[in-house]
Amino acid sequence: MNKPLILVVEDDTPIRNLITTTLRAHDYRFLTAANGEAAVLEASSHNPEIILLDLGLPDMDGVEVIHKVRSWSNMPIIVISARSEDTDKIDALDAGADDYLTKPFSVEELLARLRVTQRRLAALQGGAVSAEVVFTNGKLKVDYAAGCAFLDGQELHLTPSEYKLLCLLCKNVGKVLTYTFITQQIWGRSWENDVASLRVFMATLRKKLEREPGSPQYIQTHIGVGYRMMKVE
Amino acid sequence: MGTAAVSARMTGREQGKLTIFASYFSGAGKSYAMLEAAERARQAGRDTVIGLLAGDQWPQTRALAEGFETMPCRTVTRGGRSDVAIDLDACLERRPQLILIDELSHLNADDSRHSKRYQDIEELLKAGIDVFTTLDVQHIESIQDTVLSILGAAVVERIPDHVFDQAAQVEFIDIEPKRLQQRLLQQKKGELLASCSLAQLSALREIGLRRCADRAAQYIRGAQSSTEFRTHEHILVCLSSAPSNEKIIRTAARMANAFRCGFTALFVETKGFQGMPQPDKDRLQTNIRLAQQLGASIETMYGDDVAYQIAEFSRLSGVTKIVLGRSEIPRRLFFKKPSLTERLIELTPELDIHIIPDTGANGRLAARHREVMYIPSLSVLDLLKSTLILLVTTLAGFLFYELGFTEANIITLYILGVMLISVSTKSSVCSFIASIVSVLTFNFFFTDPRFSLHAYDSGYPVTFLVMFLASLLTGSLASKLKSHAKRSAQVAWRTKLLFETDQNLQKARTQEEIVSVTAKQLLRIFQRDIVIYPMKQERLLEPEILLADGTASPQRYTDPKEREIAQWVVTNNKRAGAGTESLSDACCTYLSIRTGEQVYGVVGIAASDKPLDSFETSILLSVLGECALALENQKNLEEKEAAAVLAKNEQLRANLLRSISHDLRTPLTSISGNASNLLSNGDLFDTKTKEQMYTDIYDDAMWLINLVENLLSVSRLEEGRMNLHVSTELMDEVVAEALRHINRKRVEYHLIVQNSEEYLLAQIDAKLIVQVLINIIDNAIKYTPPGSEIRIGWKRKGDYIYVSVADNGPGIPEQAKPHIFDMFYSASNQVADSRRSMGLGLALCKSIVNAHGGEITVADQPPHGSIFTFSVPAGEVVLHE
Repeated sequence: MNKPLILVVEDDTPIRNLITTTLRAHDYRFLTAANGEAAVLEASSHNPEIILLDLGLPDMDGVEVIHKVRSWSNMPIIVISARSEDTDKIDALDAGADDYLTKPFSVEELLARLRVTQRRLAALQGGAVSAEVVFTNGKLKVDYAAGCAFLDGQELHLTPSEYKLLCLLCKNVGKVLTYTFITQQIWGRSWENDVASLRVFMATLRKKLEREPGSPQYIQTHIGVGYRMMKVE
Repeated sequence: MGTAAVSARMTGREQGKLTIFASYFSGAGKSYAMLEAAERARQAGRDTVIGLLAGDQWPQTRALAEGFETMPCRTVTRGGRSDVAIDLDACLERRPQLILIDELSHLNADDSRHSKRYQDIEELLKAGIDVFTTLDVQHIESIQDTVLSILGAAVVERIPDHVFDQAAQVEFIDIEPKRLQQRLLQQKKGELLASCSLAQLSALREIGLRRCADRAAQYIRGAQSSTEFRTHEHILVCLSSAPSNEKIIRTAARMANAFRCGFTALFVETKGFQGMPQPDKDRLQTNIRLAQQLGASIETMYGDDVAYQIAEFSRLSGVTKIVLGRSEIPRRLFFKKPSLTERLIELTPELDIHIIPDTGANGRLAARHREVMYIPSLSVLDLLKSTLILLVTTLAGFLFYELGFTEANIITLYILGVMLISVSTKSSVCSFIASIVSVLTFNFFFTDPRFSLHAYDSGYPVTFLVMFLASLLTGSLASKLKSHAKRSAQVAWRTKLLFETDQNLQKARTQEEIVSVTAKQLLRIFQRDIVIYPMKQERLLEPEILLADGTASPQRYTDPKEREIAQWVVTNNKRAGAGTESLSDACCTYLSIRTGEQVYGVVGIAASDKPLDSFETSILLSVLGECALALENQKNLEEKEAAAVLAKNEQLRANLLRSISHDLRTPLTSISGNASNLLSNGDLFDTKTKEQMYTDIYDDAMWLINLVENLLSVSRLEEGRMNLHVSTELMDEVVAEALRHINRKRVEYHLIVQNSEEYLLAQIDAKLIVQVLINIIDNAIKYTPPGSEIRIGWKRKGDYIYVSVADNGPGIPEQAKPHIFDMFYSASNQVADSRRSMGLGLALCKSIVNAHGGEITVADQPPHGSIFTFSVPAGEVVLHE
């Protein structure tokens, strides 16, 4: 797999060193920026493929950087947050970020997230996901035109809500979707009861989809944030 | 009227100082002296402006005034005459250090904020502005009687004595009456003198000087506060609605002042009070206000025997002197009733009784007034009732007569009739008339010769007399009984109301409850719309509005202007609004709820055609007093609780810091030591040693990370329950998340997850409950040997979900069980660096679970091991497919 160019936006030198060392060790190409302004500049001039963005920047809020980048580009953004409050992550995700990492994070976790994003990129470059008539992810196949889903060649018996949920996840494969986003998309609103319903539908969907519900392969849970469909080889 | 400046003003500023330039007549040179003093002040660098100077000044005075900045005045027309009024808001906005305002005693135009100028000045003083003003001493309230006797007419514009007595400085501008006369004549202002002879001027000068001397004497004694009594004297004055009462009150006030003793004004409410005509009631109100103004504390007693009530009150309150007006009771024809004074002397032989003659200008009026008071009115309804009862009695009498009963029976029947009349009618005249009529009808219908007013039997006159007296007596007794019953019911009602208020207030726990209890109680008592503003940190909160009936819209009371008046009440700590002398164009009367100087809120009572009478006011004040007391108690309690919580938090924080700093050192030493070894002599170690060192660094760092997570949770909990971000979570997801974060040592253990039911939802803060699970499972790993089995399960029971973590390790010793959830308790309970538990984990678990409304327990797991179980509220969901 061709290693992508990564823009590392982080004002704290030790953490930046840690990330760049890790990237170098794994043969990634990278650029660095220590503040939001430099980040936007680098992003526009070098057009990196992935941005690792720290939310707490000295000159502007990370969410603002996301807004700026999103105004012209769809490049995947992974947010790094030291704030343990979920709302920051959710704000960033809703602003258009694709994934997040919470400090302290392990090197393995960072690499795993990068791989996920790369797979997503590959899928995107293979053709626009949403335009596809049939979505394939590992053993999962969703035929949008026919309105049915298959696992390992066998048709899945899904309720309408489960199917809608599955489609939404598939169309955003590799991206963390917040509760608010999902409920808005499915019910057009986001009430307390909707989020609770979402959990149950997700659990039933997962039961039909996952071989081992204890260690899910397709749908990842992000407690307090949302769900994500993983890209499976 | 723009009251913007009112709310803009700050509270708690130092009071301004009042300097009064007094004299005994206009033309003495007060204004000139005032301006001279102001000039000196200005030269000393003080910011001085003229607020208002009277129009007709002497040329020298006018010249002197030209050098000053003059505040704009409002010109108003009053009763066809134009008048200037100070623009109070402009003055407050301008905020000079010193302001000059002429004529302290002036009456303001109707549309002003205050009805009297001294109130304007008081507001300026309250805002911290010094004021120079002028005053002719005959305008002082307490010397009105003397002034009246000198000038033959009372002065309309008056100021209360306390304004004069409490001024920071009074300068008396004295001038020989003769020179004054000359000067006035020179200046062609003789018309001022038209009403004043030289002797009158001298007399005025004398009382002026004397009044100033009195003030000076008070000042020297240093007894400024009326509560500190130098003597044990206590003066009582009796209030009535008589016009002459004013004079008596003033005399008593002067005496109280002279003796420097307690001063009480007593009003005895008799049964005649209700029937008192409105002008009399108004005059009574005026008299009560006057007494209040002169520093008396007002008391009200209820009873028909005025002398007895006064005597009783005097005995109980330690009164030493009673001041009375001489009441001239018109001589009765048959039996002479002892006068009030005589009765009092008889009842209270140990007291001094001072009798003030109530003759003079008002003497005639007083006499007439008394007649008015004691002639009870007859209503048509009462007459009808009486006639009906007498008719029925007579008919019954005929029946008795036909049946051959004796006359005695018929007489008894009539007495019964009169008794019924006296009970059922309001006026005592009815029973009196009925007594006469019944004697006459008895004579007419039932005695020989029948149907004539003649009587043959020589015993009849005696019978008639006895019958008349008996019916009169029973009648008056019955009516007295009735009025007593009514009165005692009323008194009981009052007592009950106050008691109830007290009880309800005691039950109220929060400020909101106290305020709403008060509002409800006031609504019940007065049946008027009530607006009540609670206060927090010196600011008025949103008002609570209770409507007596649906006639008025609540918008009337939420008008910003009304709110500004309420704010004014807070700032000035004085009542205002409808029916008062300040801001009287409001739709409510606003009173502050306060203890001493501390204001806790403002109550507004909707004004109606009938102003509150003295009894209602006294009830209102006692209810507000109770409310203020309750609010004060509640505030004190809150402060105490807050202090206790703060102290406890401080304690907790100190413990935490101590324990953390100890616990942090160990892993940090290991991390920094290992890292420095690797940096300086990394080459010396073999791969295996290096790997061990890396592992140690990693493990210790992970331990620190875990500690930080726990500390974050602690800080969130310490800030209170409010910080729980509760949502409906799927237990499966929560447990899976917790397991992802478990120590890397988990591979050495058998972690088994078993749930009894699918899709159990819980109402929890997921982050915190994940932390609870991590702590419990980490603990299980820490305290059991590798290879142990750890089972995690959950089930629903009632409204709760019970999550259990069971291990088959060595278990927890019995004596340790009660303590494991205590903060800073470690199983080994001694500082053991190798174990590195700061004993925060389980305590935190307990706090988190408790904050969710659940419980955490520990039990033994047979044959060995322990089970931790905690409960969290279950969640429900309605699924829409």
